[in-house]
Amino acid sequence: MNELLQQFLIEARELVTQATDDLLALEHTPGDAGRLDSAFRAFHTLKGAAGIVDFDAMARALHAAEDALSQSRAQAQPITPARVGDYLTCLDQVVQWLDHMEATGEPPTDAEASAAAIARRFGEVPAPAPAAAAPGDRWVRDLLEGSTAAGTARTALRYRPAPDSFFRGEDPLKRVEALPGLLALRLEPAGPWPIPEELDPFTCRLVFLALLSGPPETVEGLLEAVRDQVDIVPLDEPTADQPEGSSLPAPARALLEAQVRLLAGHGGEGASGRLSSAGRVAVNVLRHVGEAILAESVSRALAASEEANDAGLLSSAIGMALAGPAAPSVEAEGSGAPSPQETVARTLRVDVERIDALVKLTGELTIAKNAVGHLSRLAHKGADLPTIAAGLKDQHALLERLMDELQGAVLRLRVLPLRHVFQRFPRLVREISAELGKPAQLVTEGDATEADKAIVEALFEPLLHVIRNAVDHGIEPASRRAAAGKPDLATVHLRAVRQGENVLVEVQDDGGGIDVARIRQIAAERGVATAEAVTAMGDAEVLDLIFRPGFSTADTVTDLSGRGVGMDAVRTSLARMGGRVGVETRPGKGTKVRFTLPFTVMVTRVMTVHAGGQAFGIPMDMVVETVRVPRGRIVRIGAAEAFALRNRTVPLVSLTGALGEARHRPATGDANIVVVGMGAQLGGFEVDSLGERLDVILQPMDGILTGMRGIAGTTLLGDGRVLLVLDVQEMLE
Amino acid sequence: MTVRLVEPDTLLLEGECPAEDAETLLSHLCARPAARVDWRGCEQAHAAVVQVLFATGVALQGPPAGAFLRTWVAPALTSRII
Repeated sequence: MNELLQQFLIEARELVTQATDDLLALEHTPGDAGRLDSAFRAFHTLKGAAGIVDFDAMARALHAAEDALSQSRAQAQPITPARVGDYLTCLDQVVQWLDHMEATGEPPTDAEASAAAIARRFGEVPAPAPAAAAPGDRWVRDLLEGSTAAGTARTALRYRPAPDSFFRGEDPLKRVEALPGLLALRLEPAGPWPIPEELDPFTCRLVFLALLSGPPETVEGLLEAVRDQVDIVPLDEPTADQPEGSSLPAPARALLEAQVRLLAGHGGEGASGRLSSAGRVAVNVLRHVGEAILAESVSRALAASEEANDAGLLSSAIGMALAGPAAPSVEAEGSGAPSPQETVARTLRVDVERIDALVKLTGELTIAKNAVGHLSRLAHKGADLPTIAAGLKDQHALLERLMDELQGAVLRLRVLPLRHVFQRFPRLVREISAELGKPAQLVTEGDATEADKAIVEALFEPLLHVIRNAVDHGIEPASRRAAAGKPDLATVHLRAVRQGENVLVEVQDDGGGIDVARIRQIAAERGVATAEAVTAMGDAEVLDLIFRPGFSTADTVTDLSGRGVGMDAVRTSLARMGGRVGVETRPGKGTKVRFTLPFTVMVTRVMTVHAGGQAFGIPMDMVVETVRVPRGRIVRIGAAEAFALRNRTVPLVSLTGALGEARHRPATGDANIVVVGMGAQLGGFEVDSLGERLDVILQPMDGILTGMRGIAGTTLLGDGRVLLVLDVQEMLE
Repeated sequence: MTVRLVEPDTLLLEGECPAEDAETLLSHLCARPAARVDWRGCEQAHAAVVQVLFATGVALQGPPAGAFLRTWVAPALTSRII
């Protein structure tokens, strides 16, 4: 993908975000002139950007929206919610196009139809030029009356070339020839002809009137260069599903028309590339729909066009294929845009200050390196050891500080504000709330909180699920809200806050809260836990059951989750990014789902422990506490062990045993136990001794160790030993 | 040259007639008001040439060779309103 396009994609997405923000704000305060201006500017800039990358369909769609916005601005009309919906739809379309471009590096070839649909939404403000659709366009009526093909015409065209057209080397007739689906052509003089002797052969006085089966947008695109000389009037779409002139399926037509448009671009760089790609697409489309003969003729025209370096031949051949007689044939199957692949942003916008910090650090590191070099020379010359040792110690301290800073600076490069994911939700809540008929607003707080890019990007899905749940199940029906004295408009809070090494993201609704008794019942019914176990559980533990696989099953799709994805999926995706999820609920007051995420994914703080002569790391954010328990209080339950901690029974895993090394253990004395927690569940690891706490950069297991259970990754200790970092969740399962 | 005077009163338009042909054609037609134009060999014609045919209302012998001229331009010229 070229740089221009990359830049375009980045900027376009930012502009879409800006416009979306403004529009949503306008929906709440329709009279906000500042927001209106800002939205207008965003649309305007987007349109300009689309023009720069030669994506005319997008430019046209945005132009229509911009026109409508500009009218609202000029007339100081408040924007209606329906209009806001139109603008948002337009932006959605733009995002789809951007996704396509990101995936393929090119504008979609079928954007015409969608662009036209968008432009139609803003229909009162006719898209670009054809301001001439004045009442009683006589020429249109005359043209239609005089033509037998009027029924299939979609566009009426009046083309009055400028008098000096011939001088400028133009051939208006050639332009007309290149138009798709010509159904009728009429010539008229611009005024009464003079006698032949007084006629200036180089002054154009011709007027072309035409009916075309091609859509107005296409015609308009082809005549872009002479826009001021043409009147284009869209006609009602033919009543038959497809124009009689052609039996090509609609998607095929749209694709072919897009190629004609592509060819209309003015020469210059890439013209030959456009020619051959448009030709190939057209040939393929025609073959695909079984029009072998048309395909063949387009293919010949392509060869001729390439030889003559003239797109006209090809474009008229495609035009003929569009209009030409064709036998009904195989239906084209949805040949729309390729589904946008998972678009993972590969570019990162980094604050210049952060880059500067790195540059400065590099300089300091160089100085430190030189100092070490100096020390080594001193040692070589036989300087006394204490001097060298003192120097090394200083430099080591300096290097340590610099490395810390460097690590921090590099990590900060990967850090993004959560705004990137939060900003998508006001819009979604608006839709979910409309879809479910529950008025709800989203209040976002702390969207400037930063987290690692990988986390920010992975947060969308679990958050969407939780927010959807909040609106769907959290918020009570209007009647119940009224009875409880709550406002009609429900509020869902989405907030983020940095807490030490963690980032907390919370979704809180002001709904009815989770009915714990019902959870007990469902859990028992679905066999998530045995009835006895459920009865024995405290409320917090019961609540945690909603995260268990199997709690939300297919038959509750409509009832509970709405999407058939259970909260267990949320927990899994959080775990994948090293986070946890918990839920709190207050009957009648609402529910709060909290994600606890690591600030970065790269550095993990671990507690080292020793067991069986091996060092292990346990992620600090899993460690609840360390305790010493007299062995007499450890009870054996079948093959497992457990101990009591403040009246709770905690399962105990002996690390040595768990990793396969059987060892005789003394029956007396105290056991060192690290208590770990996952949500409401606790577990204990028995270890030989506790070690220090370390920040480690975790290397995932690779090669034949990839599938090893219970180990999250490895890192090297200062003395060269390998530290195995435990995957606590897997160990306890 | 794509415009030729063959008989005293017949002008031939042949091949692809560029804009410059318009002037030649016009001067011939002014000199011979009774002439007619045979454009059966004409593949393509610039709008300026077509304009001369249109404006002078000269009698045409066709149909022209080029598909676009034959299908669209010739009929438009015969139904012209002068």
